[in-house]
Amino acid sequence: MNEQTNIIVDTATRMFADGVDKALLDAAETGVFPVALWQSVLATGFHSVGSPDSGTGLGELYAFLDVAGASAVPLPLADTLFANAWAGTIDGVSGIGEVAGETIVDVPWGRVAERVIGVVPGSAEIVVVDAVTVLAEGANMAGEPRDTVALPADARRISLARDPLPLLALARAAQSIGALRTVLQSALGYAGEREQFGRTLSNFQAIQHSLAVQAAEVAAARRAVWAAVDSLETDRAEHEVAVAKARVGEAASLVCEAAHQVFGAIGYTHEHRLHHFTRRAWAWREEYGNETFWQQQLGLHIARTGADNVWSFVTGR
Amino acid sequence: MLELDRVTLPEASEALRAQVRAFLAEHPEHLAEPNSDFTTGHDPAFSRKLGERGWIGMTWPAAYGGGERSFFDRYVVTEELLAAGAPVSAHWIADRQSGPLLLRFGTEAQKQAYLPPITRGEAYFSIGMSEPNTGSDLASVRTSAKQVDGGWVINGAKIWTTDAHRNHFLIALVRTAPPEGKNRHVGLSQIIVDLRNDGAKVRPIRNMAGGEDFNEIVFEDVLVPEDRVVGEPGNGWKQVTSELSFERSGPERFLSAFRVLVEFVRMVGADPAPHEAAVIGRIAAHLMTLRRMSASVAGMLNDGKQVDVEAALVKELGNNFEKWLPELTRLAAPADRDARRAWRTAYEQTQLLSPSFTLRGGTREILRGVIARGLGLR
Ligand SMILES: Cc1cc2nc3c(=O)[nH]c(=O)nc-3n(C[C@H](O)[C@H](O)[C@H](O)COP(=O)(O)OP(=O)(O)OC[C@H]3O[C@@H](n4cnc5c(N)ncnc54)[C@H](O)[C@@H]3O)c2cc1C
Repeated sequence: MNEQTNIIVDTATRMFADGVDKALLDAAETGVFPVALWQSVLATGFHSVGSPDSGTGLGELYAFLDVAGASAVPLPLADTLFANAWAGTIDGVSGIGEVAGETIVDVPWGRVAERVIGVVPGSAEIVVVDAVTVLAEGANMAGEPRDTVALPADARRISLARDPLPLLALARAAQSIGALRTVLQSALGYAGEREQFGRTLSNFQAIQHSLAVQAAEVAAARRAVWAAVDSLETDRAEHEVAVAKARVGEAASLVCEAAHQVFGAIGYTHEHRLHHFTRRAWAWREEYGNETFWQQQLGLHIARTGADNVWSFVTGR
Repeated sequence: MLELDRVTLPEASEALRAQVRAFLAEHPEHLAEPNSDFTTGHDPAFSRKLGERGWIGMTWPAAYGGGERSFFDRYVVTEELLAAGAPVSAHWIADRQSGPLLLRFGTEAQKQAYLPPITRGEAYFSIGMSEPNTGSDLASVRTSAKQVDGGWVINGAKIWTTDAHRNHFLIALVRTAPPEGKNRHVGLSQIIVDLRNDGAKVRPIRNMAGGEDFNEIVFEDVLVPEDRVVGEPGNGWKQVTSELSFERSGPERFLSAFRVLVEFVRMVGADPAPHEAAVIGRIAAHLMTLRRMSASVAGMLNDGKQVDVEAALVKELGNNFEKWLPELTRLAAPADRDARRAWRTAYEQTQLLSPSFTLRGGTREILRGVIARGLGLR
């Protein structure tokens, strides 16, 4: 990571550690938009990380999303950052969803968005809705707002340099590795504190091994995401994103299951913070293509490349 | 350790990749039985050819025949050889761990005597750690060496010693002094045994895949000269644990089953069913991630960093991957018997080898313990 990324990561880490607590997360799930938190994002200029004239690029953007995921920041940050990069920076939040007929569906925080962008899988053209009409409010399994908004016939269209879907899939993967890091760290902390049979849980080999496996999964997931980020300027970007999204999804399944087991009943309560992270990691597996979707894309490409070229594909750059 | 370095292989190492591929294409006679397990092909002629190319001892000083190249270069050469199913077993241990061990701890005379022939692909080493009553609990070794006039006398037995019946030397972990109370780590030493001339009795043990790769070695008053102790007598524990981390992070820890993937891709063809494509993609996503992780560890080795925990991470994930890769292809394999033939051969070979993946080089449970220690849990 370069100096600039480090500064963004450090500042954002502090900002979200201070600004995101359990009460805020609970409130966000009842539909209360965290205005003060959004104001501090605006004040630091983080809403334009990755935008052309911000002096930052995709590397910084994904590093920022990792940090946001680690705090389960209940703002549509990936949406806002990409929308600002693609359609120009505005001061309000943006949502991005998928075009479905005359609607755009699964729009994060569509209800408060000042702008909504619709993507069409397989197309580099996006639609931009500047006057947002919400048709239905919904949420994913993490309680994050996912709304349906109207797509007017005269919506602006913008052709991007590349298909946005892989970039958005990688955004969810980047948020997920942040969330998974937090899940693991929480489980490590809890295992070191909770005592049963006169010893902390961390003394039990079964618990040690479970945490070791979780740590390996988190390390793999994180490595996969940064590899994809580092490949974005190559013609393999989409394949590396497929690797990352699929690998992170598998890690999320394993880590969340095992971490809940370490926590026992307390981690199953609504009062505990753990579920804000595990439910997000679960939900994000499904957004912008789940593991199977990306495995099939990748597998199909490899099959077409042919058995004797599998290795050169795997080692390609 | 939750974060491995974001390493990209340097251009120079990538250029080397093309050379290795060209070399392999020129020598199809050595690739008769495609299998990417690093222990199944023992081919001295092939090892000597690699030696001529400078592809053994690549990172070692030129003074001992080494190439003074980066760990990235070595990473690329080893993964290319394994993926092609090249027979690398003869020189593998010497190149991967015995050489680096001698380089780090050996006497000057030992380095001069043993390292150059290793780099030429002429001297092969085996690892003498396990014993009939010593597996994971390595400090419990009972094979002993007593100092006498003119050298050391070894008594005891080693077991599971890969390629001892075909290799030249063994580096045996032996007890040279009693433990100090509860501290069993003192009094251990590593001694080089000449497997062909010192009088140790080597007997191959057939494995469940039908191969005769590992052995039992019995020592009855085997006398070896004074200068065979690696480094200092009594320093064995420190040496053996440092050696183990070289053993754990390389591409041989996740490529053993690679040929099964290749044959699966061949079997399903260019127009796979969705579930077949998903299996290929799933395997590839893991494989590509493991490569990055292993390269990250190569980068740490390059920087002279301690890698035991990171290496354990790679081995843990890699060995599990090698085990479920064949299984995933089996469950997705189409019923057509003719189409299945090549895949089935690779699958069956690998499946039969697979129990060893999470045992050799430290068991899954031991590695998880190493990772847990790195996490501060023990
Ligand atoms: C193909 C192959 C090649 C090999 N080549 C060599 C070689 O060249 N040189 C050499 O020295 N050795 C070699 N080995 C031996 C290998 O290092 C040992 O098999 C390994 O260290 C485990 O020892 P063990 O087999 O005696 O099992 P044990 O140590 O008896 O373990 C049996 C089971 O108990 C578990 N266990 C043991 N201790 C613990 C613990 N503290 N906590 C939890 N679980 C535990 C193990 O993980 C394992 O599942 C080879 C093994 C194989 C399979």
